[in-house]
Amino acid sequence: MTRKRCVSFCLIFSLFFISGCWDSSEVNNLAIELAWGIDKAPNKKVMISAQAIIPSNISGSQGSSAGGANKEKPYFVVSSDGMNTLDAVQRMQTKLSRKVFRGHRRVIVIGESMARQGIKEVFDTYTRDPNLKLRTDIFIVRGSTAKEFLKIPYPLETIPGLGVLGEFNQVGTLMEMGLLNFLLAATSEGACPIVPSVAIGMNSSSQDKEKQKDPSNAEGFRIAGPGILNKDLKLVGFLNVEEGRSMRWVAGNLNKLTISAAIPQENGNVSIDVNKLGNKIQPVIQGDKLKFVITLKGQGAIRENNTNLDLTQTKNITILQNALKKQIEDNALRTITKVQKKYGTDVFGFSDALRRKNLPFWKSIRKNWVTEFREAEISVNAELTVRQMGVTGPSLHLNPTEIEK
Amino acid sequence: MLRIKSRKLSNRNTSSNELESPNLSLPDDQNVELSTDLAVNEKMLRETFQACSDIVFRPISSNPKVLLVYTDGLIDTKTLDKVVLARLLFDGTSREFNGDPVSGQIIQEQLVAISQVQTVSTFDDVSDGILKANVVLLVDGENKALIADLKGFEKRNVAEPEAEVSVRGPRDGFTETLRINTSLIRRRIHSPKLKIESITVGRVSQTDIGLVYIDGIVSNAILAEVRKRIEQIQIDGVLESGFIEEFIEDTPWSPFPQIQNTERPDIVCASLLEGKVAIIVDNTPFALILPMTFWTGLQAVEDYYERSIYTTFVRFVRYSLLNIALLLPSIYVALSTYHQQLIPTNLLISIANSREGVPFPTFVETLLMEFMFEGLREAGIRMPKAVGSAVSIVGALVIGQAAVQAGIVSAPVVIVVATTGIASFAIPRYNFGAAYRLLRFPMLVLAGMLGLYGIASGLLIMIIHLLGLQSFGVPYMSPVAPQIPPDLKDVFIRAPRWSMNNRPAFFSGRNKKRIPEGQQPSPKRGEKPND
Repeated sequence: MTRKRCVSFCLIFSLFFISGCWDSSEVNNLAIELAWGIDKAPNKKVMISAQAIIPSNISGSQGSSAGGANKEKPYFVVSSDGMNTLDAVQRMQTKLSRKVFRGHRRVIVIGESMARQGIKEVFDTYTRDPNLKLRTDIFIVRGSTAKEFLKIPYPLETIPGLGVLGEFNQVGTLMEMGLLNFLLAATSEGACPIVPSVAIGMNSSSQDKEKQKDPSNAEGFRIAGPGILNKDLKLVGFLNVEEGRSMRWVAGNLNKLTISAAIPQENGNVSIDVNKLGNKIQPVIQGDKLKFVITLKGQGAIRENNTNLDLTQTKNITILQNALKKQIEDNALRTITKVQKKYGTDVFGFSDALRRKNLPFWKSIRKNWVTEFREAEISVNAELTVRQMGVTGPSLHLNPTEIEK
Repeated sequence: MLRIKSRKLSNRNTSSNELESPNLSLPDDQNVELSTDLAVNEKMLRETFQACSDIVFRPISSNPKVLLVYTDGLIDTKTLDKVVLARLLFDGTSREFNGDPVSGQIIQEQLVAISQVQTVSTFDDVSDGILKANVVLLVDGENKALIADLKGFEKRNVAEPEAEVSVRGPRDGFTETLRINTSLIRRRIHSPKLKIESITVGRVSQTDIGLVYIDGIVSNAILAEVRKRIEQIQIDGVLESGFIEEFIEDTPWSPFPQIQNTERPDIVCASLLEGKVAIIVDNTPFALILPMTFWTGLQAVEDYYERSIYTTFVRFVRYSLLNIALLLPSIYVALSTYHQQLIPTNLLISIANSREGVPFPTFVETLLMEFMFEGLREAGIRMPKAVGSAVSIVGALVIGQAAVQAGIVSAPVVIVVATTGIASFAIPRYNFGAAYRLLRFPMLVLAGMLGLYGIASGLLIMIIHLLGLQSFGVPYMSPVAPQIPPDLKDVFIRAPRWSMNNRPAFFSGRNKKRIPEGQQPSPKRGEKPND
C-alpha cells in the first residue's frame, strides 16, 4: 500500500518536470513594445514599426548607471513590412534579439496615408490577439508616417509613446479607452469612429515649418484635431482642435474644458473652467423632417476676467454666462454643420440617439442615413452655470472708479 | 457534533515489546516488601543504586538505627540537617519520648518535622521516592519507610517568556518545574473546578505530566480522547512536551501544527476558560494546548489585552502578511516569467531594467535568495550572542547590497525576499509561521513551473488539506468552515469582550455561556429606566 502510494507520488511528481517551463520567458528576454505603428507599404503590404524600450537605458538602472551624462535614448524603433501584421512581426523578429512582447502596448499610431487607404483590412489582429489591451489608444499621425512619429523623442517622458497618452489625457478626454471606443463606434450601425490625431513638432506655426520638413530634427509632438473616419474605416478628414473639443462634448466623452469668450460690450474677454460636463441629444421628428436638439450642460468656475465687470453682482455674471453660452453654441453648431456638410459621417452618435428614441422611424430611414444626417436640422442649446468666480469680485489691479458695478 | 477519530493502534503494541527488553526497562524484581531488618534493606538499596554516585546513604547510629537515603542535589540539605539530622543526633532517640521508649514508628510519625510525608512498604516505592527528590527514612525494626518531601534542587526563577513577548500583559512565563507551572495557573484560576490530573509517562524517565482542564467547561469527549491518547504512549523518555505532541497529534504528516504550545500561563488560562485542555510536562516551560484551530495560530495574546478596534486592525494586517509570507515570492516569479501583461507598465520596465545582466532565471534567483534568507535565520538562532551581530551584518551586506551591486541578483528579488521574511515573522505563533515558511518553497516551485496556474493549484491543495484537518475532533478551519457565525466574532475581527457571550462551540462542553448579555458599557447602564 505504502509502496504503491510512494511510486504513484513519484510518477505524478515527475510530471512537473516533463512539462518543464516551456511557456516561461524572463523579463529581460522580452522586447517590450509600448508603442506600435501601422503604415502603408508598397505592393499592398503593411509596414509595422515598434517602439521597443531598452531597459538598461532607463534612468535609475543598477550596474550600468555609471554615466548619467551621455545617456542614450531608452528606446529604439524597429520596423518591417509584410503581407499582414503578423507576417511583418515575424520579419521584424529577425532584427531583434528578444521576443516581441505586445502585452504592454499602450499606443497604436497609424500613418495618415495608411488611414486614408483604410484600416479595415489590418485591424483584426488587434482584437484577436490574447495580448489585447483595451486600454490601448489609437492615433493618426497627421501629415507623416507612424514610423517617423515613433522615432521622435519627447522631452518630458523617457518613453515618447507614453507622452502621447499624457498629452491626450490633458486634452480632457475620457481616459485611455481609445481602442474600446473605436471598436464600439465601428460596430455601431450609424455612427462613425473618430480617431484622435497627433502631429510631429511642438508648434504648428510657420517658424517651425522648416524643422517639420525634416522630422528627425523635430522634438516632441502635439495633439491635433481628431480625424474622421467613414463607415469603411477610411480617413476622410480632420477637424481642428477647437472643433474636436466641441465634437467630444456633443458626443459625451469630454471631462474638462476651458472656454474663452469675448464680451464685445465690455471690450474684454473671460475664461471659464468647466469641469462638470453633460450632453443630451434629442431627436425631434416633425413630419418628414428630422431635427436634433442638442443640449450641452456645464458647470464651472471663472478663472480669468479681463473686463471691468464686478463679478459679485449677479447681473454681471449673467452677462458673462450669456456670452459664454453663445460661444459654446456657435462652436458646437459650426462643428456639427462642418461635419454634416463636408464629411457626412455621423461621429456624434446621433443615429444611436435616434434609434433609442424611435426605433420604427430609425428602421425606415436607416438605409439612407447618410443623406438624412446631412439634411438634419440642428439646434444647439447650452446650459452653462457659473458656480464659482474665483477669489475676487472685480479685478484687483483696477482702480475702484473703473469697476462697473 | 464532535466526531473523534479513534487512533489505530496496530503498530503501537508490537513496538512496545522492544521496550520490555532488559536493557531499557527497569528490573521489576524490586517490587518486594521491605524487611524489618535494616541491614537487609540497606543491602538491597545499595545493590539497586550500585554505581549511582549521587545517591547518599546516611546511617545514624541511634537506637533504633536509622538510615537516610536521598539523591544529592535534589534535596534541600540545609533543612534536612536542621529538621531531621539534628533532632535525631542531638536530642533525638536516646531519650524517651513522652515516657515511652522511642520506637521506629514514633521516629517516623512524630520526630520528622516535614509537612509532606508518606509511608510506603515496597522497594519499588522507596527507590521511586528517592529518585523524585524525597528523603527516605528507614528505621531498624520497621518494614515501612517514610518518604519525606524535601525538594531543594536548583530551579530557574519565573521569568519573562522569551519566545512570546508582549507589550501589554503579564510578564511571567513557565519554567522547567512542573509545580511552579501549575502554581502559576492555579494563581489565576482559584477554583476547585480547575483540575490538574497527574500522569506519568516514559518507562525510563518516569516524567510527570499534568493534564489541566476546568471541569464543567471542558468537553468531556475531547478530555477522554486526550487521556486515552496519552495513556497509549509507550516511550522510554519524555524530555520536552514536543515528545508528547508528536504522539498525540491527529495528522503527523501535515505541515500545520495541530497542537498549540506556549510559555505563557495567561494563554493557558484563557484557553482553559474556552474549554480547551492543557498538558504541562515536567522539565520544559512549554505547555501544550489542544485542540488547536487554524485561527489560533494567528491570534496573539495581546489581542485580548488591547482595545478591540486596534486589535481588529492588527488582525487585518496580520492576515494580509500571512498571505504575503506564503505567496509573494511565487507571485513575483509567476508574473515576471509567465504573465508579464499583469504587471503595470512602469513596474515592468523597472523590473526589466534591474534584471539586465542578471545571470540566473528569476525562479532560480528567488529560490537562491529565499534559501539564503532561511540560512541566515537559522544561523542567527544558533549563534552565540557575541557573534550573532556578525551574522546579521554579513547577511545584510552580502545579500542586500553586494549581491545586487555585483549583478548576481536583481534588486526586486531582494525586496520580495525581505518583505516575505518580515511578513513571516509577523505570524504570532512560531510553529505556525514555520509551516508557512516551509510551504513557501513548494509554492515557489509550482509558480516557477506552471505560473499562476501552479499557484492556484497549490493553494487549492493546501485549502483541501486544511479543510480535512482535525485536531481532536475539532475541524481545523472552524469556526469559518464549518461556519459557526457567533464564533466569528473572534476570527477576522476581535469583538469587544462584553459581546463575546458564548464560549467557542466546538471546544466547550455543556457550559456554553461565558458572560451574561447586555454588558455594553454606557453612562446609562445599570440605571433604572425612569430614574
